[in-house]
This record gives sequence, structure tokens and C-alpha cells, in this order.
Amino acid sequence: MMISAGIDMGTQRVKVAIIKDKQIIAQSQNFSGFEPAKVAEQTLKEALESAKLSREDIEHITATGAGVNMASFADSTISMMGADAKAGAYYFPSARTIMDVGAEDARAVKCDENGVMMDFVVNARCAAGAGTFIEAMARALEVEMNDMGSLSLNAERASPINASCVIFAESDVVSLIHREEPKSEIARAIFDAMAERVSSMVNRLGVTPDVVLIGGVAKDVGFVASLKRRLGIDILIPEEPIYAGAVGAALVAAKRAKRRH
Amino acid sequence: MASKIEKEPKYIPEMAQSEIDELNKSIKAASIKVIEDNIERMKKTWKNRPKAMEYFDEISNLFGKRAKELEEQKAAGKKIIGYSCIFAPIELILAADAIPVRVGSGWYDTAKLGDRIMPVEICPVIRSTVGAKMVSLSPYLELSDAIVIPLTCDGRTKLSEMLSDFKPIWYMNPPRVKDDTHTLDMWKKEILVIKEKIEKLTGNKITRQKLKEAIEKMQQATKAFRRLQELRKGAPVINGRDAMLVNQTSLWDDIERWTQKVNELCDELEKRVEQKDYSSYPDTPRVMITGTPMIWPDSWKVPNLIEESNPQGVVVVDEQCSSDRILYDPVGVDEWNMSDMLNAISERYIMACTCPCFTSEHGNEDRINWIIDRIKEYKVDGVIYYVVRGCILYAMEYARIKKVLDKMGIPVYYLDTEYTREDVGQMKTRVEAFLEMLEARIDI
Repeated sequence: MMISAGIDMGTQRVKVAIIKDKQIIAQSQNFSGFEPAKVAEQTLKEALESAKLSREDIEHITATGAGVNMASFADSTISMMGADAKAGAYYFPSARTIMDVGAEDARAVKCDENGVMMDFVVNARCAAGAGTFIEAMARALEVEMNDMGSLSLNAERASPINASCVIFAESDVVSLIHREEPKSEIARAIFDAMAERVSSMVNRLGVTPDVVLIGGVAKDVGFVASLKRRLGIDILIPEEPIYAGAVGAALVAAKRAKRRH
Repeated sequence: MASKIEKEPKYIPEMAQSEIDELNKSIKAASIKVIEDNIERMKKTWKNRPKAMEYFDEISNLFGKRAKELEEQKAAGKKIIGYSCIFAPIELILAADAIPVRVGSGWYDTAKLGDRIMPVEICPVIRSTVGAKMVSLSPYLELSDAIVIPLTCDGRTKLSEMLSDFKPIWYMNPPRVKDDTHTLDMWKKEILVIKEKIEKLTGNKITRQKLKEAIEKMQQATKAFRRLQELRKGAPVINGRDAMLVNQTSLWDDIERWTQKVNELCDELEKRVEQKDYSSYPDTPRVMITGTPMIWPDSWKVPNLIEESNPQGVVVVDEQCSSDRILYDPVGVDEWNMSDMLNAISERYIMACTCPCFTSEHGNEDRINWIIDRIKEYKVDGVIYYVVRGCILYAMEYARIKKVLDKMGIPVYYLDTEYTREDVGQMKTRVEAFLEMLEARIDI
């Protein structure tokens, strides 16, 4: 029996996954807030409670994510891309390209059948290809962020917007609102624009099926529909894509713990 | 027509002397700190760094010993000839008893000053070099009696105009095509023109004997340089950053003294090969850097990241005109007569060069061949393709190089950056992921 944990110190949320013999037995998440180090402790505690385990039961903890150094209790670290590759291949053994769209950035990883990363690309410089873009646009449209997806699915077409920058896009959205374009079409335009950014990034890497989408934004039906349309292929999504980074890190932790035995 | 243009600074805006002095002081202080910090970091990674490296640390201080020497030699009547890139024929400068010194800038802080003249899209090497001139920061640039500027890229072409407000500029026109007799003839004429200019400035005739001595001096430098390069082929006895520093100091140091010091370093390192006294663990992923020149001191950002990363990487070779390309090729002379020597110089500076300013039917195959050969010789695990934004030629050639490397099964990562320290965090993420990937591949 081997129990390990992964912690993903995301820019918006801290996620923890605990795995036992390759099965996920607990997951928990919290907003990172202003004290991510404390949140990390708390999130781990919650995951342990839900798995009815104590800290001593965990053989190895691996941290990942933008704030990786804030999880000082971790035994080791892994890059976000390395965790993505592991998680993608874990959820879907046929996965060869894994896209991760989170709150602040997007990236894509290629992996082999063992979940070993072979290549990767990152879009870390522009928010127009990440979750905060949806958030900002939802605000401009005065709709709930979680309703944006289903709203966009009602649209027949998309209104044209500038996708190169959140700030420009926002002013485009405002003028579309003034022109009384239907909100559904504007919402679809927003997802199309995001999908355009993400797909041009992954195209630089080359799209090898099967393609997996993980990260918090993978839950957004509007974005997923746009991305599928844009890439013209099917995309596999795990049930709880937001935990993918933590799961990947936990898998790495299991491997590292085994190495010490 | 020319008479209609008033003689006044063409680009550089007027600045109050007090502002110039203040900026000079603060940027210089910051730069000395960066230099010291870089050396500290190199020492930290290489626990048993040999004493022979201390000489290069000293020469690496751009405001230190070497600047003082140049000042003294200039006062004694010697001419100092600056050059912006390694197309400049060093042998001719040495043969006229002048002192060659590279003047391109790696200062991040002065790039911001260049922004007052140029949009940020322009290559930061250019913005930084002009910025350095605006506040008289670079002792080498200030001391230069003339500056050789090979017009290799658009940035350098306009750089020559901007600097011509301050210094006599000697343009050199390298052809964009190598494998054509008429372009080679043209380049040979450029070499002859530069020779005349050097003679006129120094008042020294470049004689057969003088030129032979200069060529031999540089051949000795190449020999020492290659000796060091050879040592990087095995398990690491010198880290990449340290070798890069040694290589780059050749651009401003006294070349004879430099040669001697490199040989002393190699004596020590060759012993260490025997003793298996390594600078990094032998199984550290072996990285090659290619792309935009990495100019000391601020551009040590990237090799610092690679060699301090977790997992760590070691730069075993690069394909950069700021390091492993500088002295690799000797001038190969058949007969020691004037015309043969000049032919040999002309050929060496163009045929051996792998700059992306060249084009050919096969897509700059000299650069590709260089990279392929070095990957094999140095057992490279992965390539970092380094580009500063605005460096169009290197950025464009990436797709060509990637195609070749993909075929070889060698991972390559396009690492783009700016003359800024602000992106270190996210660059670290990318470099670490790349090295992790290389490590995982080595494990297989």
C-alpha cells in the first residue's frame, strides 16, 4: 500500500489530491487568497480528513504550480508541465497532447505512453488565453461567469472581437453591447477568441491525438465547444479537470516514494 | 543634397549633463553589482572553482583593470578600434598596432534609455548600446577612436547611424549570400577598405611581417580556445557559464595574455579530468544554447537559470557569436605573402560564420551543420533556442532549426525574452520544465 499526495499551488486556487495505489482517494481545493502558504496547509488538512488519514500516512508529497515554493512542507517539486503530462496519461492512457488552461495561463504538453513529457509550449504572457479572460468579459456582459458557457451555446454566430489583449477585447465587448448585439453572440465571440489563442499555441506544438483538456477552464462548456470547433477534433476531458495538476504531482510523488523503498 | 542637412545629432535627444552624470553613476553601480552577483553565483554552483578563473573574473569587470589599461595605452598614443560584432577582422587591427575591443551592450538598464529614441519592438541589444552611449557608460565605447559596424541585421545598420553622431563609423557590408564568387569578391574589397582605414587612423602601415605576426597571435588564441572547448566534450569539468565568460572576455582582453591565461586554466582542468573532479554531476542534462548573442553581464540571466535550475543543466556548448563561435576558426594561410594572407582573412570572416544574416538555397546550412556537429560531439541532450524580442533573423530561423532537430530527436525549446529582469520567474518555470524533460529522457 502506497499513499502519496500532490499539491497544485495555482494562482487562483490551491488544489490537493491524495492517491493510494494509483487511485484518487481524496481531493480538496481552496482559494489561494493572500496567504497561500497557510491555505496550502489547510487544503492538505481537509484532504486528509476526507480520506480519514493522518499526515504520517503520506509517504511523499510533491508540489507544483506557480506558487510551488509556498508549499514548504512538500518533499519535492515538479514543473506544471511535467504534472500535466502525468495527469493526462493517467486519466486517458491514449493521451498524447495535453492542454491545460488555468486562471492565469495556458500551456500544452506532449507526452509518451508513460506520461513522460516530450515537448511543451507556454502562453504565460497574455491573459486572453486564460480563465481570467472569461471572468473579465462576464463582468463586462453583466452575467455570471458560470452562465457564460451555456449562454454562448445559444448563439448561431459570433460577433467579431479583438482577441489579442484582454483590455482591447473588453473595449470591443463594450461597443458590441452598445450596438445591442445579442449577449449570446458576444459570449460565443469571447470563447472563440480564447479558443483561437489556445489553439494557435497548441498548433505550434503540433496536435497529436488523443487530445486532453485539463485545468479549471476545461469545465466551461462554452470554451470547450469553441475549442473543439476550432481544432476540428474531439477533446477528452476528465471529470474533475481542475485537480489534474495535483493528481499529476501525486503520481510523481508515488514514483519518488517508491524509488526510496 | 547633403548640404541641406544641418550638422546636428541625428537621433540622440539632448540631455542635461547632470542627468547624464546621475544615470551613469547609478547604472554603473548597478552593473558592478550584477557582475559581482554573477561571479558569486558561478562560484556557488561550481564549489571547487579553480583559481585560474579569478583572472577572468577580474577582466569581466567592464569598469575595472582592462578599462584602465586601455585608458593608459590610449594616453600613450595607441589607437583603440571598437567593433560591434565578430565580422570585424581583428588581425588587421592588431597588425596596425591598434587595440580591438567589442562594444555591443548587455546592459538591461540602458535599454530603457534607448527607448527614448526607438520603439520597444527594436532589438534590445541595439537599444541598450545606444542607451549606453547616451550616458557614456561603456569605457570601451568611449575610448574607441573609430567603430567597425558590420551591417549584419537591420538593427546594426541603424545603430551605425545613431553612433555616428559620436564616433567615426566604419561600415562593413557582409554579403547575404556566401556561395557566390561575386559576393565574395565584394567582401574581399570590404576587407581592403577597412585595412586602409585602419592604416590611415593609426598611421601604421600593415606590413607583411606585422600581419603574419597578428595572424599567428590569433591562431594561438584559437588553439587555446579549442583546447578549452575540447574539455567540454566529456563529463563537465567546467560549467557553461564559466566557459562563456572565458570566451567572451577574449573580445576585450589583451589577446596574448588571454591566450596564456586560458592555457593555464586548461592545464588545471586537464588534471581534473584525470581526477574526475567535476564542476557538475556527470549525469547532468547537457544543454546547447543557440540564438541571439548573450552579452555580459545582464544576459547571464539565462545560463544562470539553466545551471541553477532544479533539476540542474549544464551548458556544454553554444552556437553564439558571443561565445563558442568567437575564436573557433583560425585564419588558414597557404603562403605568407600579403595577398594570400588578406584572402585568408577575408575567407575566414565570411565562410566560417554561421550568422543568420546569410541565406542559401538549403536554408543557411552552415549554421545547421555547425549545430548538428556540435550536438554529436558534445553529446547534447537538448537545445535552448534563445531569442530576444526584436531579433528577427534568429527568431525567423527557429522553425528551420527546429525541423532539423526534430528529425534528430533532439528536444529544442524556444526561450524568448527581453532586456529585463522581470521575467525571470516565468522563464524559470519554462527552463525547469525543459530540464525536467531532458532528465526524464535520460532516465529512459
